[in-house]
Amino acid sequence: MVGLSLGEKHFIQGGIDQNLRSDGRKRDAYRPISIETGVIPQANGSARIRIGATEVIASVKAELGRPNALQPDKGKVAIFVDCSPVAEPMFEGRGGEELSTELSVALQCCLLGGKSGAGAGIDLSSLIVAEGKICWDLYIDGLVISSDGNLLDALGAAIKAALSNTGIPRVQVAAGASGDEQPEVDISDEEFLQFDTSGVPVIVTLTKVGRHYIVDATSEEESQMSSAVSVSISRKGHICGLSKRGSAGLDPSVISDMISVARHISEQLINKLDSEISAAEADEDEM
Amino acid sequence: MEFVNPEGLRLDGRRPMEMRQLRAQIGAVAKADGSAVFEMGNTKVIAAVYGPREVQNRSQQINDQALVRCEYSMANFSTGDRRRKPKGDSTNIACENAIFGCTNHWFMFVMCFVMANESIRRRSTEISLVIRQTMEECILTNLMPRSQIDIYVQVLQADGGTRSACINAATLALADAGIPMRDLVTSCSAGFLNSTPLLDLNYVEDSAGGPDVTVGILPKLDKVTLLQMDAKLPIDTFENVMQLAVEGCKAIANYIREVSFAREYQTAGVSTWLVVHKKGIRAHIQAPTLAWLLLDFQLSSHHLKLVAYTGVATS
Repeated sequence: MVGLSLGEKHFIQGGIDQNLRSDGRKRDAYRPISIETGVIPQANGSARIRIGATEVIASVKAELGRPNALQPDKGKVAIFVDCSPVAEPMFEGRGGEELSTELSVALQCCLLGGKSGAGAGIDLSSLIVAEGKICWDLYIDGLVISSDGNLLDALGAAIKAALSNTGIPRVQVAAGASGDEQPEVDISDEEFLQFDTSGVPVIVTLTKVGRHYIVDATSEEESQMSSAVSVSISRKGHICGLSKRGSAGLDPSVISDMISVARHISEQLINKLDSEISAAEADEDEM
Repeated sequence: MEFVNPEGLRLDGRRPMEMRQLRAQIGAVAKADGSAVFEMGNTKVIAAVYGPREVQNRSQQINDQALVRCEYSMANFSTGDRRRKPKGDSTNIACENAIFGCTNHWFMFVMCFVMANESIRRRSTEISLVIRQTMEECILTNLMPRSQIDIYVQVLQADGGTRSACINAATLALADAGIPMRDLVTSCSAGFLNSTPLLDLNYVEDSAGGPDVTVGILPKLDKVTLLQMDAKLPIDTFENVMQLAVEGCKAIANYIREVSFAREYQTAGVSTWLVVHKKGIRAHIQAPTLAWLLLDFQLSSHHLKLVAYTGVATS
């Protein structure tokens, strides 16, 4: 954990009050972002993202499964996050489990919508192969390699990049299976379908330190936070999910203010991410 | 199955005595005291070193030497089939059991899960132990009494030889952290399939059921610190296979030395002593004198080890 002296704490808080943070950023500025795609060859899609000293890897694996009986026309998506002790000795053994669970739950509610799957950033009906019988199960795994704050935004961006890198094999369903029988499938080795990722939201976390809130907090700044609100926003400006961390109470008017700020910031972030992702994919094609 | 074709090529197109491509990068984790990524073909591991630092659990403190700890973990996506949580996610299983427990078929499936989890956990505990013992052997632990060094290795891609790759990554990370070492341990595996000794087995060759000899050596001292073999092998063949693995270790040692020097000279322009004293033994040195810097530049082959050593000696 971050151990800060009283002087350091005042310095961080004072900087945020004056809109000039310790690393020279303004309150609403991100650290430099870089993205690499296709880093895990055995996955269907993967990406590594660095935001300052924070580094995470996301991978997407697709397996054929059976759709849920209650939603026969939708595929399934599961998100797991693992905090490697490489990032922080605190995550050793079961030490990272609490944070891992907190992050996976936050990602699930930011990206997957409610239980019904309505409002999910990922179009679940595009995962269906044969209605009621076969669908794709997407397993999204996040791994924190280096942690310097703002893990949720980084994971959200990594998942977005990994999804746009994902190719799902084309599947031919043999006709003629009737009733309860599971139809035979033929999975293509050559043809891959790309996802439509334009609807996948980004996550913007606003961290409240003192009277102000900041984006992309480092771990030092996070140690001074009273609460943080993570908003996931799609390109259209729709809010897809929301989660609040930290124990301090927030005034409802502050929350709606934060949401509108997050919405404004998300526009820049989406543009930045999209250009980084397409640059990364161009790099990968060249290799 | 044919692992070496009549032309003498292996499944991935290598010759029997050829190693996979090595790649290493130092300083991958910004916040760690030392870190490295090591790749052997498609096997990719990342290692981070924290310390020497205060012992976290007082009861484990050793008064005349440093405590070395190691944890090995595998990413969910590291293998071909997506694996479940190695740390035993019992709550998840209980849940699935409750949902699907109605049919026998599902119950068996869940039981397989539990058993697979158990064996994964045991395997990672064993590898952690192997890495710890190997690294403990080469670290000059007596120079850092009452302190703790943590080595964390994370497998990103597993394609055979993870044990060796982890040891090589850990060595580089320890060197990056400036921890005084006797030598740079390196490790490599070799096997014996289709009556041919094969260097550096990949996953397919490793799971073929033949012997897998993993060797770790201290190249300068010419000592073997790690030796593991499963399956059986005639003694004279074993000698050949082991010799091959040792040759592999030496080749890796040369590569590791190149990488760590390249890194050092990159930073040398700024100030050499920073590399070695980066957190590791910084406390011992008040300020670098001119003599110090000159000394650093003169050391060539044992560079890393010696600089770290003198650092402590002069303090």
